[in-house]
Amino acid sequence: MRTVQRLRPYLYVLPLVALLAFVYGYPLVRIFEFSFKMVRGIDGPWIGLRNYRLILSQDVFWESVLHNVQLLLAIPAMIAISLLVSILLYERVPGWKLYRIIVFVPFILAVPIIAVVMKRMFQFSGPVNEVLRWLSLDFMALDWIGSSDVALWTVMILIIWRESALGIILFLARLLSLDEAVIEAARLDGVSWLQRVRYVIIPQMRGVIEFYAVVSVITILSAVFAYVFVVGGGRGGPGTATMVIEFYIFNALIRTSLPGIAAAASVLLFLVSVALIYPLFRARKHLAEDEGRS
Amino acid sequence: MTTARNPNISRRDFVLTSALTAAAAALGGPSPAWAQDKSLDMWWWGEQELPGLQKFVDSSIAAYKDVGVKSMLQDTAVVISQFQTAAAAGNAPDIQYLWNGIYHMESVWLGYVKALNGLVKDDIIKASNPTILSHFGGNIYRLGWYPLPMFWCYNKVLFEKAGLDPENPPKTWDELLVACDKLKSSGTEAIGGGIQDGYWSEWYISHGLVQNLDNFGEMVQLFAGDRDFREPKYHEHWVRLEELKTKGFLNKDMPSLELYPGIDLVVAGKLGIGQTIGTRLPADSKATGGKIGYMVMPVFGKGKLAGVPLVDMQGLGISSNAEDPAAAAAFLEYLNSPGRLKAFWDSTGWLPSNTSFDASVIADESVRTMWQKWGLSPNISNVTNLVPGQWYERAAIPTGQRIVAGEITGEQAGELASDVAKEWREFNPDMVENYRKWADDLSKM
Repeated sequence: MRTVQRLRPYLYVLPLVALLAFVYGYPLVRIFEFSFKMVRGIDGPWIGLRNYRLILSQDVFWESVLHNVQLLLAIPAMIAISLLVSILLYERVPGWKLYRIIVFVPFILAVPIIAVVMKRMFQFSGPVNEVLRWLSLDFMALDWIGSSDVALWTVMILIIWRESALGIILFLARLLSLDEAVIEAARLDGVSWLQRVRYVIIPQMRGVIEFYAVVSVITILSAVFAYVFVVGGGRGGPGTATMVIEFYIFNALIRTSLPGIAAAASVLLFLVSVALIYPLFRARKHLAEDEGRS
Repeated sequence: MTTARNPNISRRDFVLTSALTAAAAALGGPSPAWAQDKSLDMWWWGEQELPGLQKFVDSSIAAYKDVGVKSMLQDTAVVISQFQTAAAAGNAPDIQYLWNGIYHMESVWLGYVKALNGLVKDDIIKASNPTILSHFGGNIYRLGWYPLPMFWCYNKVLFEKAGLDPENPPKTWDELLVACDKLKSSGTEAIGGGIQDGYWSEWYISHGLVQNLDNFGEMVQLFAGDRDFREPKYHEHWVRLEELKTKGFLNKDMPSLELYPGIDLVVAGKLGIGQTIGTRLPADSKATGGKIGYMVMPVFGKGKLAGVPLVDMQGLGISSNAEDPAAAAAFLEYLNSPGRLKAFWDSTGWLPSNTSFDASVIADESVRTMWQKWGLSPNISNVTNLVPGQWYERAAIPTGQRIVAGEITGEQAGELASDVAKEWREFNPDMVENYRKWADDLSKM
């Protein structure tokens, strides 16, 4: 009787656990299984670690990894821009409410729409280069999307522009919850604007900055497909200049009929992402603690 | 797969039908009326490249009385994977849209597609020109649906301005270089288009690599490992592209433009020569008042296939899951009847793939001439339909882009192509033997 009572709570949650296991667990198990098979159609023979060996020996995989890592360089820029803009808005510059809406617009728009527009702007004969030439800055009129040396940086510019919008809103929300008396006291004490930002505001925003940084890392590792697809001409190009891991998986699955390879690359990406979940939770904990204190 | 029809029915009908069905089941099996109420499933693609095809499919289904047909327009990204997944699960449609060459041959090797010889009348198969890329092991697996002639186009006004004869485009590579030089001297960007999305690279291989081949089997042997892209004749086309680049003949914004905006430059009179496809011709010819000319890629190669007009072919086939292949074959034959061929033209403004099509309905002289030169005269298929997807993505597309960007030479492109072909064999050891058999077949044709 006592055993039944002990088990009762677990029995209540069992249906939900079973449902979650089916929805999330089953696909994951299948992906792991596929990664050890040479899949043709919907199944194939077991080949052990061969898919992993093939992937890790392939130049284009490592190029994709490198490009993801290079794109991580966007994060400091995103944080800096988000901080600067959110603090300026917090200072209530004239029209700040309107600006607040405008800066968030990029995040509301679908990535493909933004990317298509940006792509036209950055064409060799597009508006960006036309303006640069008009300003006699011909040396800066680069082949933004047609050159292998530049295309990834163009993708990065686009990512910074759009993803910073989320940072601005997160940071502004945090700023608006700060105790203004502390900032006002610093002002009355004759502390300069830069010092207020550095010694008063930023320390209180540490949690939200960490949270945004971790979310951005995950975004850049596993959610930049749409940017690359549009800017890279649907190929991760020119050449392989904008190929990232997500695109590598897409190509393996859809374009080269190699579901086993796609599964193995997905497993690798999944494991890296899992490794990032821990700092995410840690950042969220910081955020909660900060909010508790303020 | 053959499925029960699903007409729009009221709730009353539904209840009544359910009751009757239950009664029929209780009596031990379906009634004769139920058994007749079958339909074919048809998964197709093409509205994306040929607007009006949906109208043709719908009108064909509506007019066909022998059996109901349910159609589904597929998304471009999943045409192959959706079919293969369904076929592996035993749920493939009766009729499936099939791109040419390897795009359906892998499904053939997996046993998902039925041979049409003996199922569809021989004269209809032949008239539809499924191309030799649909042959394997002595069988034919597709019926041609509509052709895609591929050629080079040029702007006649710019030719005149440069002192070139607009009615006699260059036929040899040397003549092309002279023409490019004159175009450039006249202040016009000579040749190119848009390569940012990669399709220009593919088309360039279609026109260029084939010039040093004696047969299509030779191309397949490059992937099976019996020949090598490092041999000069298999990368000469890339060396020629490099030559156009180094001589400054390619348009400057080529790396950042996509394929169609690149072709638009020729139509708009901003670029002398480009690559194009037949389906664009009616509109481009109309837009320029007939000032768009077309030609086979000027010849540099010494292979037997050099200088022959190129026609790719979209097609339809019957899946191995079809419960009634004869019914599916009858519908395909119906699509090739004279009335349906005319309906195809009326709906799409484009040509159906059937040599018996009455071309007198074509009003545009340039389109009619193209049909005669590319459709009815001896032609060859698109060699890039023989390349594995992995090679297409990793070599066919990047090589052209990187040469045009000045990053690699034609010879280096050959090395890259060779390396990726080797990589493909390592990734797909189970496919290599099929490629060898296919190469043998194609070498004999």
